[in-house]
Amino acid sequence: MDKRHPNSFQQLEKLGEGTYATVFKGRNGQTGAFVALKEIHLDSEEGTPSTAIREISLMKELKHTNIVSLYDVIHTENKLMLVFEYMDKDLKKYMDSYQSPTNPSAPRGALDPDVIKSFMYQLLLGTAFCHENRVLHRDLKPQNLLTNTSGQLKLADFGLARAFGIPVNTFSNEVVTLWYRAPDVLLGSRTYNTSIDIWSAGCIMAEMYTGRPLFPGTTNEDQLLKIFRLMGTPSERSWPGITSFPEYKTTWPVYATQELRAILPQVDALGIQLLNSMLQVRPEMRCSAQQALAHPWFADVYPQARKGEALGGQGGGFKGM
Amino acid sequence: MPPARTARRAITDENAETGTQRLTRAKAAALETSAADPPKKALTTKRSTTAPSNGTLGARKRTALGDVSNVVKKDPSENADGKKSGLEKPTLVKAAKPAGITKQPARNSSTRTALGAKTSNNASSELKRPASGSGIAGNVPKKRNVSTSKPTKMELEDDEDSENAPPAVNGSKVPTKIARKASVKSATTGRAQLKPEEDNEYPSLEEVILDAKDLDEEDMDDPLMVAEYVHEIFDYMKQLEITTMPNADYMENQDELEWKMRGILVDWLLEVHTRFRLLPETLFLAVNIIDRFLSSKVVQLDRLQLVGVTAMFIASKYEEVLSPHVQNFVHVADDGFSESEILSAERFVLAALDYDLSYPNPMNFLRRISKADNYDIQTRTLGKYLLEIGCLDHRFLQYPPSHVAAAAMYLARLSLNRGEWDATLSKYAGYTEHEIQPVFKLMVDYLHAPVQHDAFFRKYASKKFLKASIVLRQWAKKWAPKYLDNVQEQPSSGKTPRS
Repeated sequence: MDKRHPNSFQQLEKLGEGTYATVFKGRNGQTGAFVALKEIHLDSEEGTPSTAIREISLMKELKHTNIVSLYDVIHTENKLMLVFEYMDKDLKKYMDSYQSPTNPSAPRGALDPDVIKSFMYQLLLGTAFCHENRVLHRDLKPQNLLTNTSGQLKLADFGLARAFGIPVNTFSNEVVTLWYRAPDVLLGSRTYNTSIDIWSAGCIMAEMYTGRPLFPGTTNEDQLLKIFRLMGTPSERSWPGITSFPEYKTTWPVYATQELRAILPQVDALGIQLLNSMLQVRPEMRCSAQQALAHPWFADVYPQARKGEALGGQGGGFKGM
Repeated sequence: MPPARTARRAITDENAETGTQRLTRAKAAALETSAADPPKKALTTKRSTTAPSNGTLGARKRTALGDVSNVVKKDPSENADGKKSGLEKPTLVKAAKPAGITKQPARNSSTRTALGAKTSNNASSELKRPASGSGIAGNVPKKRNVSTSKPTKMELEDDEDSENAPPAVNGSKVPTKIARKASVKSATTGRAQLKPEEDNEYPSLEEVILDAKDLDEEDMDDPLMVAEYVHEIFDYMKQLEITTMPNADYMENQDELEWKMRGILVDWLLEVHTRFRLLPETLFLAVNIIDRFLSSKVVQLDRLQLVGVTAMFIASKYEEVLSPHVQNFVHVADDGFSESEILSAERFVLAALDYDLSYPNPMNFLRRISKADNYDIQTRTLGKYLLEIGCLDHRFLQYPPSHVAAAAMYLARLSLNRGEWDATLSKYAGYTEHEIQPVFKLMVDYLHAPVQHDAFFRKYASKKFLKASIVLRQWAKKWAPKYLDNVQEQPSSGKTPRS
């Protein structure tokens, strides 16, 4: 890895830009295969960013069909470049550009139920694999889920991910993009566990049905209230211990719990049941990824998705880089 | 989550019950000052007889290491200090050069540990102590204190994380990369004696744990125990601990280093670790980084401390929520290295390890076993001390962390008369009493021998740690003869007795 010169990858168009890195499409000079080149901005002050150190170390461990592959690391004095498996677009872009051919009355961005089920299954397979390998992703959102034309979905961007021990250590609570952030984290918990990824997955599932984020909050407080408006304002009775969270407020309006099926009429009954078990405000009540995968809603998921294979048979050949 | 409280509390309260919850800054400072006092002996290096004109070897090594030359910028002062000029580019890993190379020989204030270069009889280059006084304490982010307004439960957990939950082991056995032959050679002298005969007299783990209880059910309500994945996770950690083992005999391949220097380095890092109030996980990972790095690269004596500091820097970035700034590491090494030296060393070390920091922390294994011990605070505190011995004493490198953790808990329970190593303990440790014996004996041997790691010994002599080092030393004095009959020759056999 270290010997390869950055120039052996031809840099093509920019795919995205974040505070921490810029991602380009690239082409392997030798094989001609497409790759994603993640160029990490190096801070001359502190050297290699901790996010990059964790991302690289963890992605080298996590080899799974539903997790994007890290092929190579190119580390020079002023540049750190990660070479990833190329995927066509992230789920956000996929949704934004999607108009259901079978149901023209569906809002733009809303996906077809079969696709949602397949994507959810793959998302949960990837997440379960992380969790079994003691890794929290901590930033699941449509932008970080990559899809390809074969219908595969893969987890990407492990910049916020980290390994955990048992019992789980105290971590930063500045994790997960606001809209997908679990209520316990919003409440200031620093001892969260795998369940925070499940909350994000639940939010993503709802979003795939409607084409819009489920809880588009503007601030930490607003985010909590948007959640409470739907799930009901928790109390010491419904959530023992809630009053001792740092962000607990006695001034919250008291909302009653809404029926998810009223908000999401397009979701079938089993789907609502699964969504309900993922979107539990109390972390200990949330189902695990493993349990979610065993839910009857997935009984008729595309068999390819079940095996993590490419849908449609072709195109999955990214491995031969 | 009330049902979970009991177990959780038991875990997190262990330090609370042993005195101070956390080190105050003043206390830390006091501790450090005293810790820095006793001067350490200068280390003369093993090849002190090496002729200065060891041209062939030097040249060969240098070539082999040619590709690392961009790691450390050329420091003009090094040549001035008498480095052999044949080395065009000073690198982090410098080849065996003629002896007598020390960086900044002027630096030998008496209170500091000296890691002398090979030819020097006295401290000519040395391990810099954490700079005493306010500088560091003031600069380092007080990460452990930020969470003032958390729920009680988290507060407790936080304390467990904070520096009073000691770091510890690092085991290993699988020889990696270079020098397989070496491992065989020295293993036959040392290890073989410790290993019980391969026989079938003893029941296997599978047989033993048939009667074990399942204690994970009770964790189902405690999110922090991640009970739904606990088996997968520990299975995975058992794989990782093998893949991240260093070569237990890497010193055979080092030209300028000896095990004793590693011991001094780790003892010093322990102080740095305490000073920076880092997580126990960070120390263990840092030591693993050092050992794996030294398993694959030949390092010059005057770069050893840079490797140690860099390993701690990398481990902090991986483990800590807020890691200390690079300038803190420069400062703690008494400005022996520049920031840019540490940063380029960081790149070099990461690449040498192939960015693999997946080392499973031994604390995980210790806590797992503690579960079968009712989370007894006394045994676990002694266990932590013993686990850290595994970090300091290189002889434990041949054993994986889970094995060292098992021995630590076994010895701790034995010394406290906590009863037999039953089926449930065997199950949660993953080792039968019989399998634990060789590691256990090594520990007894360490405890029995004269104190070698002062900072370490003193740290655990405090009330906060139940005077673990003193208690166990006394225990060893009394009982070592009973357990050590077949380990007697160990300390004196081989070229490197113990770290």
